[in-house]
Amino acid sequence: MLRWLDRLEEVLIATLIALATAIIFVAVIHRYSLSGIAGILSWARANDMPWLFDTAKQAFNAVRAIKLTWAQELTIYMFIWMAKFGAAYGVRTGIHVGVDVLVNALQPAQRNFFVMFSLLAGALFTVIVGSLGAYFVWELYHTDQVSPDLEWPMWIIYLAMPLGSYLMCFRFLQVAYSFSRTGELPQHDHGHVEGLEQQA
Amino acid sequence: MTAFVIFTLLTVLMLTGMPVSIALGLTVLTFLFGFTTVPLESVALKLFTGIEKFEIMAIPFFILAGNFLTHGGVARRMIDFATSMVGHWHGGIALAAVVACALFAAVSGSSPATVAAIGSIILPAMVRQGFPKGFGAGIISTSGALGILIPPSIVMVMYAVATSGATYTGPNGEMVTSASVGDLFMAGVIPGLVLAAMLGTTTMFIAWRRGYPRLDPAGWGERWHAFSRSFWGLALIIVVIGGIYSGAFTPTEAAAMSAVYAFVIAVFVYKDLGMRDVPKVLLQSANMSAMLLYIITNAVLFSFLMTHEGIPQAIAAWMSDAGLGRIGFLMAVNILLLVAGMFMEPSAIMLIFAPILFPVAVALGVDPVHFGIMLVVNMECGMVTPPVGLNLYVTSGIAKMGLTEVTISALPWFYTMLVFLMIVTYWPELSLYLPRALGMM
Repeated sequence: MLRWLDRLEEVLIATLIALATAIIFVAVIHRYSLSGIAGILSWARANDMPWLFDTAKQAFNAVRAIKLTWAQELTIYMFIWMAKFGAAYGVRTGIHVGVDVLVNALQPAQRNFFVMFSLLAGALFTVIVGSLGAYFVWELYHTDQVSPDLEWPMWIIYLAMPLGSYLMCFRFLQVAYSFSRTGELPQHDHGHVEGLEQQA
Repeated sequence: MTAFVIFTLLTVLMLTGMPVSIALGLTVLTFLFGFTTVPLESVALKLFTGIEKFEIMAIPFFILAGNFLTHGGVARRMIDFATSMVGHWHGGIALAAVVACALFAAVSGSSPATVAAIGSIILPAMVRQGFPKGFGAGIISTSGALGILIPPSIVMVMYAVATSGATYTGPNGEMVTSASVGDLFMAGVIPGLVLAAMLGTTTMFIAWRRGYPRLDPAGWGERWHAFSRSFWGLALIIVVIGGIYSGAFTPTEAAAMSAVYAFVIAVFVYKDLGMRDVPKVLLQSANMSAMLLYIITNAVLFSFLMTHEGIPQAIAAWMSDAGLGRIGFLMAVNILLLVAGMFMEPSAIMLIFAPILFPVAVALGVDPVHFGIMLVVNMECGMVTPPVGLNLYVTSGIAKMGLTEVTISALPWFYTMLVFLMIVTYWPELSLYLPRALGMM
């Protein structure tokens, strides 16, 4: 069950960042192919090449029929979902850094106390934010607000907030539990770059 | 009084070692429940809308692009190119390391990534050629900082985001809007080149004094070969800077294009990355981006609170009462940020301090773009000052040296950076010349 949740979290955020990149890429290509074809059109007209003009005209209409005005909005929503769930994943990988210079200089017993305190503070903050979010989504659910371009119900979009925050809270508790058992924290090594060792 | 309570709370929470984002968020919540009349709903709304800006999305895209590029191929080819061009001068391959960092900085928006990409390849090579390890570590940890000054730059996007969304009043009552990402990118080009030249000069001087090995000059054929091999990497500079300057792309679109481009050259052109490595790169990038976006969300909340309590305005009023003019203010900012840079991460510093300091700077007549570049240079210094200096960590990881040792090795170049900081601070034209000449502002 937990493995399944871990996997879901990873697949979700990796897919979102990939899709968002692809969408913006396609939207830019789309914009430039429109103006590119328009260029061919006027060139064909000026040089009196009816066959090229007709082909280009068809292509132009086909490309123009694809509306991508929603691309920007969708990307933003994808990144919001990625940010919320990625933040939860980040707790598990230990990427959320703090100012730990002072704490690391303390005696182990005191240090453990502060580490535990930080983890529980994280859990407290995320549970409050999650509840605020849940309340907010609940209110939105009773309106018929939709997003400007996609016209999706806003409450579904903002569902990322409570879900992500509660998941993050769960991750903080999970790390706190394993810390109390083993005394180990997940560490993110900022200096480590995947795949460089064999090159060096 | 309010400011005092907020900052004490934030400092205490941060010193417990909790993530900066959580400390920011808890400060805001405590304050909301206990001290102020801001309705809770408006805060909840901020939590949702804080990162709902298309400009912010440049950050994950640049991180993704950077991660594709860091995987060997591009960095190694840039080093070969740099070595063939400057390897025969004093400093040899060490000087090439500075140049390679500058080149890589022009395709990557992050300093630690630049250190990791260039350092992990060139440090072993330097040691093989008989350079002391500390010399290389010093160069890499400081030159890598060019990553955030030469565009693209994630920290510049953060500055633009942190200060956007409001207009402020200048010294003569005129309205001043915040700097755009495009302006900042262009403004970073000349200071970036100047800093690279200064770091290179320091390297050459030390190498000349100590008689470090130089390489035989490469022939033009060899140079051309190295150039054409690194061409696809170098072309990314044109995609990003050229695309933004010509107006072909917005900065966010340029970031997305460079991510796709970096993916294509890493997987299909240079083939340093297999298709099955791609999910891992995606996951790492998503992890890093989500962490930054989470800090941004909470920092937006925090600066909302600051603005609501009128703290930037209070500081501005206090500054002008104290008779601390523009020169004194900029010096105070430098000192404040250098101290903060010792203990905090650049992105967090930028997001917390920029919204507070920006209105004051504007009120004193400092140009928003110039101020941004100055803050970025401060962040660069912060990355090589212990105890918390990301570049030092990365370098010590690559070089297998202690943190103290790396710090001491980096001192000559760090002093160079401080001199450069003074130049940038008190010579606005250095930053403003290019964007003005290009007619961007």
